[in-house]
Amino acid sequence: MSAEIGLAALTLAFALAVYAALASLIGARRGSAQLALSGRNAALLTFPAALLATGALVFALMTEQYQLTYVYSVTDPQTPALYRFTALWGSQKGSLLLWSLLMSGFTFAAIGLNWRSERRLMHYAIAYMMATLAFFLGLSLLVENPFERWWILPSAPAAEQVISTALIPPGAIAPAEANLRAGAEGLNPLLRHFGMVIHPPMLYLGFVGFTIPFAFAMAALASGDLSTGWIKATRRWSLIAWICLSIGLILGGRWAYDVLGWGGYWGWDPVENAAFLPWLVGTAFIHSVMIQEKRGMLKRWNMVLVIAAYSAVMFGTFATRSGVIESVHSFARSEVGFPMLAFWAAMTLVALWTLLWRWRRGELGDERHFANLLSRESLFVLNNVVFIALFLAIFWGSFGLPITSELLLGKEVTIGADTFEFYVVPLFIAMYILMGVAPLSAWGATSARRLGAALRTPLALTALSIAAAVLSGTDFAIALFGYGVALFAGYVALFEIIRGAGARRRSLGESWIQALTALFRRNQRRYGGYIVHLGVTVIGIGVIASTAFQTEVQHSVARGETISVQEYTLRYDDFLRAQAVDGRMMNIAAVTVFRDGVEIARLRPRIDDYPQMPMKIAGAHSTLENDYYVLLMSGDRERATFRIYINPLVNLVWWGGILLVLGTAIAAYPKVVPARAPAKREGGT
Amino acid sequence: MTDVIWRKPKHSQKRKRSERLKFIAAGVMILAAVLCLLISGTLQGARYFITVSEVLEGASYLGRTVRISGAVDGESIEYDSEKAIIRFEIVNIPSKYDDLATALREALLDSTAQRLRIVVEDAAIPDLLQHEAQAILTGALGADGVFAATELLLKCPSRFEESTAPEGLSRIPEHQ
Repeated sequence: MSAEIGLAALTLAFALAVYAALASLIGARRGSAQLALSGRNAALLTFPAALLATGALVFALMTEQYQLTYVYSVTDPQTPALYRFTALWGSQKGSLLLWSLLMSGFTFAAIGLNWRSERRLMHYAIAYMMATLAFFLGLSLLVENPFERWWILPSAPAAEQVISTALIPPGAIAPAEANLRAGAEGLNPLLRHFGMVIHPPMLYLGFVGFTIPFAFAMAALASGDLSTGWIKATRRWSLIAWICLSIGLILGGRWAYDVLGWGGYWGWDPVENAAFLPWLVGTAFIHSVMIQEKRGMLKRWNMVLVIAAYSAVMFGTFATRSGVIESVHSFARSEVGFPMLAFWAAMTLVALWTLLWRWRRGELGDERHFANLLSRESLFVLNNVVFIALFLAIFWGSFGLPITSELLLGKEVTIGADTFEFYVVPLFIAMYILMGVAPLSAWGATSARRLGAALRTPLALTALSIAAAVLSGTDFAIALFGYGVALFAGYVALFEIIRGAGARRRSLGESWIQALTALFRRNQRRYGGYIVHLGVTVIGIGVIASTAFQTEVQHSVARGETISVQEYTLRYDDFLRAQAVDGRMMNIAAVTVFRDGVEIARLRPRIDDYPQMPMKIAGAHSTLENDYYVLLMSGDRERATFRIYINPLVNLVWWGGILLVLGTAIAAYPKVVPARAPAKREGGT
Repeated sequence: MTDVIWRKPKHSQKRKRSERLKFIAAGVMILAAVLCLLISGTLQGARYFITVSEVLEGASYLGRTVRISGAVDGESIEYDSEKAIIRFEIVNIPSKYDDLATALREALLDSTAQRLRIVVEDAAIPDLLQHEAQAILTGALGADGVFAATELLLKCPSRFEESTAPEGLSRIPEHQ
C-alpha cells in the first residue's frame, strides 16, 4: 500500500509543481493576479504532497517492505530503527526524494515569510523555485523512482522473470516474503555513523537553500524591480543555506575522520569539492552583498554570484550523481546524468541571458564608484577575488581539467591532493590576511596611516603568540607563518568585539556583560560575523597543526608488550571476540595508554565483520591538545598490529566549526522587534 | 544662515584617473598571480589517468607518476603488518564501460586480461581492499614491473549499488 500512496503523492506533487511554475510565470507576465495566486497555492500544496510521498517511503523502510527495490537495497532485517530511517538518504533514489521534499519545504517557508513583503517578486520567484522542484520530482518519477517494486513474471523466460517497475505489470506476482528478507542488502556499513545521519540532509538543505536566493534574484531581473528588495529577501536565506552547507561539510569531515581510518578529514575528492564549491561562492556573496546594501555597488557582481552559487549546486549534483568523474564516493552511475546536465545548462543559460538583458538596458548601474584601494569595499572585492580564485582552482582541478583533457586528448588528466594544496595554501593565506585587515578599514576611504594604527594591537598580539609557540618548541617555519596569519585574523575579530564593548562601557557605564549583549543585539550581523571569523581562525590553527605535526606509526606487538610514541605508551592487554545486536562479529583489542608513565585511557580499537566488508573502528583518546587515535590492523590473542596517529589540535577543527555555526546563527537570527497589534490579513486566500 | 558650497578641487579628475589605474593594475596583477598558480600547479601535478594495459604497453610511462584504475584480485592480497606493506594484483578494466560492477566482475573472470602487481608501502590496509573492488592508484611503474603506489583509493560497487536482478527472488515459494 505504501508504494501506491507514495507513487500517487509523487505524481500529484509533480503535477502541482509544473502547474505552479507555469501559472506563476504566465500570471506574472500577463499581470493576472488570480492566476498567480492559484500558482502560489499549488506551490504551497507541493509541500504536503512531497511530505506524503516521503512519509510513504519512510513508512515502507520502517515496516520492512522489501518488495520495494529501494527498501531491499538499503536495509535488511538486522538494520536498527535509526538506520532504517536514515536509509532514506542511503542511496540515490531516496536522496532525490529528500531533495524534493526539502525544496518544497523551503518554498513553503519562503512564500510564508516573503509573500507580503516582496509581493512584486514572489510570482517569478515561485516560478523559478517550482521549475527546479518539478525537475527533481520528474527525475524521481521517471528515472529514479523510489517506489519501484520487485515483480515476478512467471510466463517470461527464466533470465527475465524478475523485474522492477513502479506500476504492476499484467500477470505479475510478488516475490515471496522469505526470499525478499533473505536477499535484502543492508545499509553500507560505512554510512552507520552519527555524521552520516546528519551530514547528507544538511548538505541538501544547503544546496536547496541556495535555490531561494537564486529564485529571488531571477525574479528581480525578470520583473525589473531591481531595488534592494531582493537583496533583503535573500540575505537571510543565503545565510541559512550557508550555515547548513557549513554543518554538512564539517560533519562530512568528522565522518571521514572517524570512519575511514586514515587520520584525515579532507581528501580533495571531487564529491567533497562539489559540496565545497557552492560554499565558496556563497561565502563571496554574503560578503559582497553588504557592499550593495551599504554603498549601492556591485549589483551586477552580486547577481553573477547568486547565479554561480545555484549553478555550482546544480553542477555539483550532476557531476557527483552521474558518474562522469571518478570518485571514491560509491554513488551509482545512473541515468540521471544527461537530464541533470541539460537542466543545469538550461537554467544557467537562462539566468545569464536575463542578467545580460538587464545589464545592457543599463538597469544594474552602481550608485558609487570605488575611490580608494584601502577602503572597506575594495578590500571586500579583494576578498571576493580570493574566494572566486579558490572556486576556479578547485573547479579546474576537480572537473575542468579531467573533462577538457578527456575531450581534447582522449585521455583523462587529473591532479592529486598535493596539487590542490599547492593551489589553495597561498589563497587561504590571502584570505586570512584580508580577514584581518578588512574589518579595520572604513567605508569610502581609509588612509594607510589610520589602518596601520588600527593594526598595531592585533599584530603585536600575533607576534607575542608566535614567540610563545617558538619558545614552546615549534620550529617549523611554514607552520609558524600559518599560525601567524590565522591568529592575526582572529585577534582582529576579538579586538573589534572588545573595542566595541569597551566603548559602550565608557560612554554608557555598562558592565562588560551588558555591553557585550547590547553590542551583539544591536549589530547582530557584524558581531556574528566576527564570531564566524574567530571560528575560521580556530579551524585554521587546527588544520595547520594536525597537517604539519601529525605522527603516524605502525607496530606489531605480543600481548603485554608496549609501543612508545613521543611521551605516550600503548600496552596491548587483551583480545576479545563479541557479537553485536545486528549479528556482526567484533574483534576487539583492549589496550591501555600511558602518558609519561601515567595511565590516561583504556581504548578498544576493533574490526567489525560486516557481511559486505570488514570495518576498522578506531579507539581514540581525545583532548583539546591532541587525539591519540589507534587502529587495530590485525590481531589475535597472541599478537596484534596497531597503527597509531597522534593528531595535534585536531579537535580545534570541530570546535572552530561550532563557533562558525554559532556566529552565523547570531548573524541570521531575526531581529527582535517589539510586538505589535496583529495586522489585518490582507489579500490572498 | 551661511550657505556652504563645496567645489570640486581641480585635481580631482586627475586623481580619479590615477585611482582607476591603480585598480586596473591591482586587478591585472591578481589575475596574473592566480593564472600563474593554476598553470604551474597543473604542469607540476597533472597525471594521466590510464588503464593497466596502457601503463604496461606504453614504455613512456615507466617511472612516470600516473593514476591507474583496475579490478582487485582478492586472492592476491598480502599484508605484511610488521612493515605495513600491502601487495596485490589488479586486472585491466576497459576505459569505457556501462556498469562498473559488471566490468569489474568480467575483468576478473577474463584469464587473458593484463595484470599488474602493486605495492603500497607504509600504509594501513583499507577496509574496502577486497575482491572485485576497483582500485584507483597514484604512483609509478618500476623497472621490476611492479607499480609502486603512493595513494590507493577503492570503490566497491558490487556491494553497495542496487543490484539489477538478484538471484533467488524468483524461486517459487514452498507454500505455493
